[in-house]
Amino acid sequence: MALLELHDVKKSFGDKQVLKGLNFEVPEGSIFGFVGENGAGKTTTMKMILGLETIDSGNILIDGTKVHYGNSNINREIEYLPDVPEYYGYMNPTEYLTLCGQLTGIPKRDLPNKIVKMLKTVDLPINKRRIHGFSRGMKQRLGIAQALLNSPRLLICDEPTSALDPIGRSEFLSLLASLKGKTTIIFSTHILNDVERISDRVGILHDGILKANDSLDNLKQQYAKSQIIFEFESNALAQRANQIIGPKSILKQRKVILNYEDDYHTNAESALKLLLKNHLVPISMKSQETSLEDIFMEVTS
Amino acid sequence: MRNTWFFIRKESLESLRSYHLLIIAIVFIIFGIEGPLMAKLTPDILKMASSSSFTIKMPDPTSIDAWQQYYKNMTQIGIFVLVVIFSGTVSGEVSRGTLVNLVTKGLSRYSIIIAKYFVAYMQWCFAILITFLINWAYTAYYFPDNKTPNVWSGMSLLIIFGLMFVAVTIFGSTLSNSNYMGFLTAVVVFIILTLLNLFKEFKHYNPIALVTDNMSLIKGTKQIDTIMPAIWITIVSSIVIIYLAILILNKKRL
Repeated sequence: MALLELHDVKKSFGDKQVLKGLNFEVPEGSIFGFVGENGAGKTTTMKMILGLETIDSGNILIDGTKVHYGNSNINREIEYLPDVPEYYGYMNPTEYLTLCGQLTGIPKRDLPNKIVKMLKTVDLPINKRRIHGFSRGMKQRLGIAQALLNSPRLLICDEPTSALDPIGRSEFLSLLASLKGKTTIIFSTHILNDVERISDRVGILHDGILKANDSLDNLKQQYAKSQIIFEFESNALAQRANQIIGPKSILKQRKVILNYEDDYHTNAESALKLLLKNHLVPISMKSQETSLEDIFMEVTS
Repeated sequence: MRNTWFFIRKESLESLRSYHLLIIAIVFIIFGIEGPLMAKLTPDILKMASSSSFTIKMPDPTSIDAWQQYYKNMTQIGIFVLVVIFSGTVSGEVSRGTLVNLVTKGLSRYSIIIAKYFVAYMQWCFAILITFLINWAYTAYYFPDNKTPNVWSGMSLLIIFGLMFVAVTIFGSTLSNSNYMGFLTAVVVFIILTLLNLFKEFKHYNPIALVTDNMSLIKGTKQIDTIMPAIWITIVSSIVIIYLAILILNKKRL
């Protein structure tokens, strides 16, 4: 069952129509990777889901309840992690999380324990150090803590890993992955590897509509563009090899990329035979599977 | 209402930790001490300043001079110091984006305005009262006369004027993301009200009477009944202005 549904959602800023009828559903408990170019309308979509932005036309439903701009009835079920969370620098993390917990209606008796547990989870100090002295990474981790404190049904993350170092990013992705099945997550990022790593479904927003929306495996099948990459000792050898292999190949400096559709072995064998017959021996040869980046490039091109 | 209360606590903590309350306390304690002291010392200062061939004959200072100094300080500087402190209360949060997290957790926008208004008004009352009490004590010590029998009613007008003036500042702060807008709006409204006082038919209803007629009330030459229309207009307009501020914040992109 879908926890989040968007039906023909349109949004314009002045003359520019950013969303031209957005339709998609996010099943409960899944992680939805939401990707698109800069300015495609990802943040606008997320803010509309949160009731922070007006909707020109269409409907957004969360668990069957329509989202209204500024309406806060459904907000206690949703949490938001922006790319650069802003806090009250004069507070310490415990004070800030206490305020967040109170606003989301966490019972007073449970709140202190939940806060301590959450601060330990995100590896933040449990002391009186104020937030204004925090690094960007620490602020991002506090953002994760405030977003997860209430165990939300829907978590919306807008480029959450942008400020994290590689270790922090990996830990954050593991944390999100551990929520799979319990919390529905919409996860927007430009780092497509992150989406590949944890998402069940991927939506690619382009030109105001969702151009692709499926599981990563299905998208790979749909946009399958299998390749064999031959690398040669020099550009000249690669150029000759490219001419011999034929129109299905692309030359990229010392590499020749062969696009194929069906069986790997048949294609690899025939290409290799042709090359060896012409005394062209590649120094490396590898099969490359379709990545989300390839799919993204194809969908948005 | 629970969320409004939580936000009031947050606003109070902010006032304390960002040293707003400390600044208010220091400035207004100085005002409280300065009023009666200046009234007491002015004749001596003038005497010292005058040359031996030219003497200024000054009447002995009274409690009226001390209270006059108090109201001059409060209406010409004090209330504007407060307005400067409150000026960025909404605009600062909107421009920094600190409200986004809290609004997405279910904090209503009206709670934000009401809480900010309440805490700002409490600081206004604190400032007026602290200066008043110090001024009162010093005046009683320096000038033990009976020339100012109604000190409380004079001060209560300042407290009531704050209802509207703080509301105007919050409203201005909601209009724009600039931290100066609250101050600017309050100053413009103050100037307009002062200009309106030039027309005799408005005087009776003009909220500015609450900061201009204080001395007449203290001395007992005017009764509070004559200012009642202005008091009611001040209270009603405060409610309307706060309501407008809520409407504006409801439409504002955070």
